[in-house]
Amino acid sequence: MLSFALVSCQTEKTAKKYPNTVGDIEFDEKLDDADFKKCGSEKWGHFSFQYYQGSKEYGYKGEKIAIVEKLKKENIYSENKIDGYITVRFLVNCEGKTGLFRLQHMSPDLKETVLDEELENRLLQFTKSLDGWMPKEIKGLKVDYYQYLTYKIENGKVSEVLP
Amino acid sequence: MEKFQRYYLSFLLLIVYTNTIAQVNCNAVEGENCKKACELYNWASDLQGFAESQEGFDKAIELCPDFSLAYMEKAVPYLKNGDFVTWKILIDKAVALDPQMHLGYRGWTKFQFLRDYKGAIQDLDQLKKYYPGDLGRSQNGDYNLDVVRAMSYSALGQKEKAAGIIEKLLAARGYVKGMFDHYQLGVTYFELGRYDKALENFEKQSKEYNFAENIYFKSKVSKIRNKDYLDLKMLALQTYDEGKTMKDVYTHHFNKVYRKEIEEL
Repeated sequence: MLSFALVSCQTEKTAKKYPNTVGDIEFDEKLDDADFKKCGSEKWGHFSFQYYQGSKEYGYKGEKIAIVEKLKKENIYSENKIDGYITVRFLVNCEGKTGLFRLQHMSPDLKETVLDEELENRLLQFTKSLDGWMPKEIKGLKVDYYQYLTYKIENGKVSEVLP
Repeated sequence: MEKFQRYYLSFLLLIVYTNTIAQVNCNAVEGENCKKACELYNWASDLQGFAESQEGFDKAIELCPDFSLAYMEKAVPYLKNGDFVTWKILIDKAVALDPQMHLGYRGWTKFQFLRDYKGAIQDLDQLKKYYPGDLGRSQNGDYNLDVVRAMSYSALGQKEKAAGIIEKLLAARGYVKGMFDHYQLGVTYFELGRYDKALENFEKQSKEYNFAENIYFKSKVSKIRNKDYLDLKMLALQTYDEGKTMKDVYTHHFNKVYRKEIEEL
């Protein structure tokens, strides 16, 4: 425990091969909305948690099925009969607002590859449109947390929304 | 200052509590460098997900390139955080070095995190060559990995095969049941239209561990048979609200049912 505290103190002094925590997303003025702010509790050192830390409930109003049903209504698919995965990661801030969206596209065997730019963009926009993410509290303090959605694509259609 | 330290300690405890820690007895590891790598691995596993941890695994791999656990543990935070490309590169290395140790985990993960049913079956079939009897448990402890094979076949439409695998397991001497075995078998029979067998399994599940999804399916069988199903439906909703549902920290269970689906029954 102490060793962690020591290395943690040195974290910002030296250039690192890895981000402070795996999956940390840095603000990029070319990609990100300048109005989106991190606002997690100072008492947690403004640390951005992961979706699985703290509350064990899925953090979307109406549960995951609400996302799946909204997606069905949008009828997003590709004319190309492609297979693979599209993941969108993002940060949910202490107010339940989302930002810092990053997309990863993969072949069925998880090799990075473009599947269909239009489909990817539509799924990115769909993810950005989701407004039911609930703010997370840890020990009574509001925090920011990373969330992701992975869309499994089969024959050009979304067959599963994960996790 | 004191207050900050208290929060900082809570924070560390929370992170460590959340992580799966797989400590190894390094005295059993042969070779000085590999012993050092093992100790580094134990240290880094405690700090899962942090930069220092990932660097620790890198050092361990440098010292002992065949130490498969270092690749495996280095991969875990990428999996949990949704970076499947990086996870796959690392977990494949672990499997290549020691398939007997890591095939089960990779197979389970393909099923649970990616719904890659074919990939899961491939890995678990390969694992059978090493463990023809008992494949062991899923990482979350809920299932025997043969039940994971069965659920994968079920998802691919091979429901008779899926039911056969679970029936065989349940009949096997010394088999330790998983938390949701009868439920998953019941749902498979339900999907086959074999409602007697489905109900039989939902009843068995009720006696061992009951939860909202199981009651929902009992209610569905009653509705199909034109019997009173509303009491069961209400009980399913009540049980759901009490939090007795299929839960997983990182993902959703196969055949999970949502509250809205119960409401709409």
